[in-house]
Amino acid sequence: MISLAAEKSNNKVLDLQNLSQEDTALEVQNLNLFYGSKQALFDVSMKIPKGKVTAFIGPSGCGKSTLLRCINRMNDLVDICKVSGKILLHGENIYDKSVDVAALRRNVGMVFQRPNPFPKTIYENVVYGLRLQGVNDRRSLDEAVERSLRGAALWDEVKDRLNDNAFGLSGGQQQRVVIARAIAIEPEVLLLDEPTSALDPISTLTIEELINDLKDRYTVVIVTHNMQQAARVSDQTAFMYMGDMVEYSDTNTLFTTPAKKQTEDYITGRYG
Amino acid sequence: MNKWFKSGAPWIWMTAGAVSISLVAVVGLLILIAVRGLSYFWPSEVYEFDLSIVGQQTTVIGEIYDKELVPLQRLQESGADVSGLDGEFVERLLLKTGNREYVDLDFRWITENQILSQKVPENIAVLERRTNGNFYGYIEAVVIDGEQLKSRDDHQQVFDSIRRSNDLIDEADSLQKSEIGSVNYRLERIRLKQRKLELEHALTTDMISDFDAQREVLHQEYLVYEKSLFALRDQAARDSLIVRDMRGELVTIPLNNILDIHFPNEMGVIAKSGHWLHQIYKFVSSEPREANTEGGVFPAIFGTVFMVMLMAVIVTPLGVVAAIYLHEYAANNSFTKLIRIAVINLAGVPSIVYGVFGLGFFVYMMGGSIDQLFYPESLPSPTFGSPGVIWSALTLAILTLPVVIVSTEEGLSRIPSSVREGSLALGATKAETLWRIVIPMASPAIMTGLILAVARAAGEVAPLMLVGVVKLAPTLPLDGNFPFIHLERKFMHLGFHIYDVGFQSPNVEAARPLVYATSFLLVTVIVGLNLAAIQIRNKLREKYKTLEQ
Repeated sequence: MISLAAEKSNNKVLDLQNLSQEDTALEVQNLNLFYGSKQALFDVSMKIPKGKVTAFIGPSGCGKSTLLRCINRMNDLVDICKVSGKILLHGENIYDKSVDVAALRRNVGMVFQRPNPFPKTIYENVVYGLRLQGVNDRRSLDEAVERSLRGAALWDEVKDRLNDNAFGLSGGQQQRVVIARAIAIEPEVLLLDEPTSALDPISTLTIEELINDLKDRYTVVIVTHNMQQAARVSDQTAFMYMGDMVEYSDTNTLFTTPAKKQTEDYITGRYG
Repeated sequence: MNKWFKSGAPWIWMTAGAVSISLVAVVGLLILIAVRGLSYFWPSEVYEFDLSIVGQQTTVIGEIYDKELVPLQRLQESGADVSGLDGEFVERLLLKTGNREYVDLDFRWITENQILSQKVPENIAVLERRTNGNFYGYIEAVVIDGEQLKSRDDHQQVFDSIRRSNDLIDEADSLQKSEIGSVNYRLERIRLKQRKLELEHALTTDMISDFDAQREVLHQEYLVYEKSLFALRDQAARDSLIVRDMRGELVTIPLNNILDIHFPNEMGVIAKSGHWLHQIYKFVSSEPREANTEGGVFPAIFGTVFMVMLMAVIVTPLGVVAAIYLHEYAANNSFTKLIRIAVINLAGVPSIVYGVFGLGFFVYMMGGSIDQLFYPESLPSPTFGSPGVIWSALTLAILTLPVVIVSTEEGLSRIPSSVREGSLALGATKAETLWRIVIPMASPAIMTGLILAVARAAGEVAPLMLVGVVKLAPTLPLDGNFPFIHLERKFMHLGFHIYDVGFQSPNVEAARPLVYATSFLLVTVIVGLNLAAIQIRNKLREKYKTLEQ
């Protein structure tokens, strides 16, 4: 029974590995990452498909967030962090010396674990990225605010108080402001780093519905330590353990018929 | 007992006790200087004493300035007349008798055995004079335009004629200050222009005659002003008062020497309060007279506030930029740590050392070079090469720099990294993140640094004595002559004023209340500056409050 399921899931994994160029949003090739002398990622390779939701799961400290932060080079902020290997976006290695990191981050947006709105109005939070790009025309900013807030399913709640401080909102609303802020600059890829871990169940539900809507327009990569959430929102799931990519396959397969013993132990709650 | 110790109550008592001691000390100090300083302006009653000193009977008029108990033995040993005194201690009174040019001392001690009788006569007048201090006596007559008018009961005539002469003098002063001052200023500029051309060997005879013509025009202008000035002064000196003093002699006091007159013994509480407020207003708004022992302290207030603001303008950008480099860009290695320790230790360097540094580096080196380069025409007399308000502000800016750097760095490190990451993740560069997010969020901390810097700088005197403060500055660093702000000028400072009045004055008794009053004023100015800064900081805090609150 188990071996049968393993065979089946292997087919799917093969599918992901042989993804065609136009269906691939990102390709990670032999990525190794060191914090000082400690290695945090071991030879990770994967292809992340376009227009889908890909989830990274695994126990705390397994490197899932580290891998996510490699994709928009947020790890550059850590002085002792060294990366080898490649991450390809449009066939170009983002770790290439010629890459403009700011431009990369405009293309690969990110939402963090805790809501981190700026101490500005809701409006100014959403248009922050656009103002950075030099957009100051009132009308296009207004349009962007409405479009982004609608995209983040927040427009109806805040349309009458766009000039209030974003800190006056609830945690779930703040997180959606942050998502609106990220999609206002229309990135191709959206990275979500445990976006609901600081939120209550109802806000979590709203965000999960939102993620489902977002995948029509963006490639979404989400890190979560909540397996139910990964099962609910993602199309593919990668299970990581101790810096290794243990298993990466279609979500249904991974949760129903995992190929590896380790994966099965984790999803059935035996450790982690 | 042991249980009581374990309950933590003694700890609470101890900490609360420390707070109360500090509070009592601060409030007590403020109340002391406020009461001592402000009571100086209260019009106290004037007594007339009949005294018998070694058999001789004299009359003394004066305010009771101070009372103290002295041991009888000490009086005896100092050779004073102690007949009729007994007990271990004797009360003696310090009288302020004024009339400085007619008696030996305008303060005198009297003991109770000398007093034959004392009364509070209704119609004693206190004359505040431009020179020689107060005069106490009875008004006998007003001389208006040579005509003597008896004036014993109705003071209106006296008030009116004094107001008239004061108005004339004010007019004369403003003429001298603005019009004549401006003529002098323009004359000096012409001289400098000519000298400059001379130094450049570009001076032609045409130019010289042109300059002479300009000078002639200004001189004519000056003569006109001078004429009206003298006319005004003559007008003001026309009238005089005839006053009977405590010796019973009639003294004529020209009205142009009288600033103010009041009859304290006739005043009710309301009239006294009005007079008190008026005196405080005069103290705050007028210029000092008589070697700073009388008159107001306006130039000192102005100098203090102006210098502190100038310092704040210099120190804030410098400190903030340095802190940003140290915190955001400098590598986190031992060299940076060394720099940080050095910066913190700079705050512990005695301020006089900064004064010496400021004098050597700013005044002589920088100021001297500026003079050589830009003001060769006025050499050998220095322009920037002598102590001045800009050098004081710079010296204090260096002195307070560590405070601003440390608190700005603290503010920068308090900003959650999640907000920085949020900005970077939207494609902002580090510099953009700094400008748009980090510095605005750190602005309350920057203001805190500025508040501490202002508090420190406003109270600092020692270094200023070397780099710009003087006992008496003839002009303010801000006036109506182009370029309006004169940063090279010397200025007066409340802190130095306290030192000067209290400890360099020939008349110690007269100066003492002024020391309290000026101290109170200095504290008020510093508190005022701080409150303004705190107000701004609270606004900023409200604006940039983050999740942590």
